[in-house]
Amino acid sequence: MHISDGVLPVSVTIGCYVASAGILTWSTRTTRSEDLPRLAVMTAAFFVASMIHVPFGPTSVHLLIPGLAGAILGSSAFLSISLGLLLQSLLFQFGGLTALGANSLMMGIPAVMCGWFFQRFRGENQMRQSITGGIAGAMGCTLAAVGLALLLATGGEDFMGVAKIALAAHIPVIIIEGVVSGFTIGFLARVKPALLNPSFVRSSVGVTRE
Amino acid sequence: MPDLSDSFEGSFFHKWDVRCKIITILCFCFMVASISNFAVALIAISFALLVIVMAQVSLQRVLRRLLAISGFMLMFLLIMPFSVPVLPGDTIIVPNGIQWMGFNMRGLYLAATVASKAVAITMMMEPLFSTAPLPVTLHGLSRLGVPEMVAQMILLSHRYLHVFRHEASRISSGMKVRGFRKRSDLATLQAVANFTGMLFVRSFDRTERVFDAMKARGYKGCFPEPLVLKIYPLDIFISGIGVAMGVLLIAVDKNFFI
Repeated sequence: MHISDGVLPVSVTIGCYVASAGILTWSTRTTRSEDLPRLAVMTAAFFVASMIHVPFGPTSVHLLIPGLAGAILGSSAFLSISLGLLLQSLLFQFGGLTALGANSLMMGIPAVMCGWFFQRFRGENQMRQSITGGIAGAMGCTLAAVGLALLLATGGEDFMGVAKIALAAHIPVIIIEGVVSGFTIGFLARVKPALLNPSFVRSSVGVTRE
Repeated sequence: MPDLSDSFEGSFFHKWDVRCKIITILCFCFMVASISNFAVALIAISFALLVIVMAQVSLQRVLRRLLAISGFMLMFLLIMPFSVPVLPGDTIIVPNGIQWMGFNMRGLYLAATVASKAVAITMMMEPLFSTAPLPVTLHGLSRLGVPEMVAQMILLSHRYLHVFRHEASRISSGMKVRGFRKRSDLATLQAVANFTGMLFVRSFDRTERVFDAMKARGYKGCFPEPLVLKIYPLDIFISGIGVAMGVLLIAVDKNFFI
């Protein structure tokens, strides 16, 4: 879920723009410059993946993906997610204009944190990677929901009720996202383990690419 | 899905310098976001409506954008009347004496203000983005200080978005042919996960080929400039009117005239 325009106080939206610009610069620096076109193509893939709907009882939820993006892209995930959001605003119906910075922070920071978590605890065997991936997926979604609630709460006491309900509404999404991320990471570990090494990131130049 | 270029070039919005347009509309939107009065937010909507009519953009696309935010806005309208803390002087409607169902009019007013601001800003997005071809808008952004690479990455992502959507629909029809039906169970989640994983594997393989093809065509880190931008006094005059409209809204909102 994205925050719409006009919801957050202007000072918060501007602050978020500044903060996300700072993190964006860091994320771009950690990405090897010759890899930027490749990252753009992967961004398109994440964009399409986030449109996948999973049935949930009578309704359906769509995947949020921050955990998976972090696991695959590492610190480049912030750049990728910001680009995806800008693309959404430019061409599609949703995504904010004044809230773009806030949305980038809300989705991008959890992605980078989950990426770090996944790389730190993934281990070697497939089962462990799958479980770590699942935890990362659920964690990414949880952190994004907490971010949403915190941002809404900056509007003052009047917005606390909405913030709490928005947080509660994410619980089924968190569970589904965790399970799907776990299975997806398991699938990638079996089929293409190279994808789980964030080969876009500068610090891992030595990683072999297929 | 919108095109990369817009053949229609009728209104002055299409001729307005893209840098002036981006700055003016962004400023206007931030000013609208700072409004705290419902009536003023409604004036902002009427301004936006005026802009849409003048820019002659597709009304259908504006409606689609509005539809996309409607869920989030509905959440505010449905929850806030019941969730805002009761302050002295609030009007509360209690249906049939059910105390906990107290409907706070101040909550509704707040939610309606937020929703109106969101509607006004969302309505401004279509004149901002669809009155110039995408490469021109991105060129304008990079001339305003956004790194050139961002513009290029957006163009590349945009191009491959369509390719991967097509790919996703191919995988999904393959799954349907094999008898897969979406249900609320673990097997469905696993199938969706394999689907997502396959999408990533294929995309990752493609990134290499795309980059090789780009290099083969002489890509050296930048695309050719779509056009030379030039600001005329008229562009600045129109920007002035736009910013003045925003300032007027804020002045009314802050009771400057009373």
